[in-house]
Amino acid sequence: MTEALVLKPKDYKSRVTPIWCPGCGHHAVLNALTKAMVALGKNKDETVMVSGIGCSSRLPAYIDSYGFHGVHGRGLAVAQGLKVARPDLTVVAMGGDGDGFSIGGNHFLHACRRNIDLTYIAMDNEVYGMTKGQASPTTPMDWDHSKLTPHGPGLRPFKPAAIALSAGAPWIARGYSGNPNQMAKLISEAMEFPGFSFIHVLSQCITYCPEQTDWKQVVHETEAEVVTDMAQAATLFLAEDGMQTGLLFRQQRPCWPPPAQAPQHNAIAVLAKSLRA
Amino acid sequence: MSESLRAFLAHALEMETEAGERYQELAEAMGLHNNPEVAEFFSTMAAEASVHIALVKQHADGQTLPILKAWEFDWPDVEAPESTSYESTHYRMTKRQAMQLALANEKAAEQYYRQLARETIDDQTQNLAAQFAEEERQHAAGLERALRQLSIEPTHHRQDDDDPHVPE
Repeated sequence: MTEALVLKPKDYKSRVTPIWCPGCGHHAVLNALTKAMVALGKNKDETVMVSGIGCSSRLPAYIDSYGFHGVHGRGLAVAQGLKVARPDLTVVAMGGDGDGFSIGGNHFLHACRRNIDLTYIAMDNEVYGMTKGQASPTTPMDWDHSKLTPHGPGLRPFKPAAIALSAGAPWIARGYSGNPNQMAKLISEAMEFPGFSFIHVLSQCITYCPEQTDWKQVVHETEAEVVTDMAQAATLFLAEDGMQTGLLFRQQRPCWPPPAQAPQHNAIAVLAKSLRA
Repeated sequence: MSESLRAFLAHALEMETEAGERYQELAEAMGLHNNPEVAEFFSTMAAEASVHIALVKQHADGQTLPILKAWEFDWPDVEAPESTSYESTHYRMTKRQAMQLALANEKAAEQYYRQLARETIDDQTQNLAAQFAEEERQHAAGLERALRQLSIEPTHHRQDDDDPHVPE
């Protein structure tokens, strides 16, 4: 028996009832996150959930840990600041496709580049759900369900994994809300990875994109070994259908900030030494 | 108690717990989304699952069951057989649709237990799996009876005064 599994997933849920629509994929992400916390035996007092704005960004309220429901697109900015100030904490940032790739797009790029040791879960339903269904950066170009884009947005959707790779993210995975147990495993591995770990979750919006229930038929688990070479990963992410799940890329590289400098290199220590001399 | 039986009980406990918690989540979500009839049905299913959980715990009493991570359980599909998949629900679903989902869950659980009973070489596991399969069969039969007695209702989702889709 391992200590890590003493608590149950339910113990990590707060007493706040999720207001997500029944059928929303975000319920599965909450389920997976609590299962991952059970598996790792996470201490609630040392874990922080940080989010931006949107349906998915409500998630921190539903976890019985510390949390910060931030400003639109700024979940990653808050999460990075927190991790740098308190490296002892486990920090998980989360949000939706609009929050992460549009309003917070720049923070996403630089979070990938900085490689601060935290996990970012992007729940991608290809739509702004909270504002009643407008096209987001990942919406298919012919999606015509919104009054704002009656003939579809007409723009090529973002490829979040490819963008994360090119910006420098060292750990990239994809999960699917229809497979919460696999997602739990991915979140668990992400939280253990020493560096910025990005999980792109295909999380269906039953209300504004009911056609996403078809994802179950097209999502497929990757059978290949995890790619560790950037050039190979670039080829993979540009050519793939965006529906393969699993750990897709991993490459160890130094985290930011670097370890604190030794006292002899510290300016104050150097000054003190010179004064003593 | 054999290793096989301990592993079986660990799986049964996880399956029943997950089923019950999922029904409870759905009951709460349906309640919040103004579908009280379906909320009440899922709430009843959650209560029934708690009876199953108590039964499994009774069989496991005093035994140390293997403790597995969520992804280490050996299920025939991606989730435990009795769990309602998140993507199969909708806030406008009817009670009939909810009952059909629950019926499919009960049948999947029965099938799971029956297959285990067929495949195991451990007598204790075989007997208990067969017993659990029979209980699931009875629950499924009860749901089928209830479905037959249910008044006719439209098969499509209920009307919504605030339809989310507003195409031109």
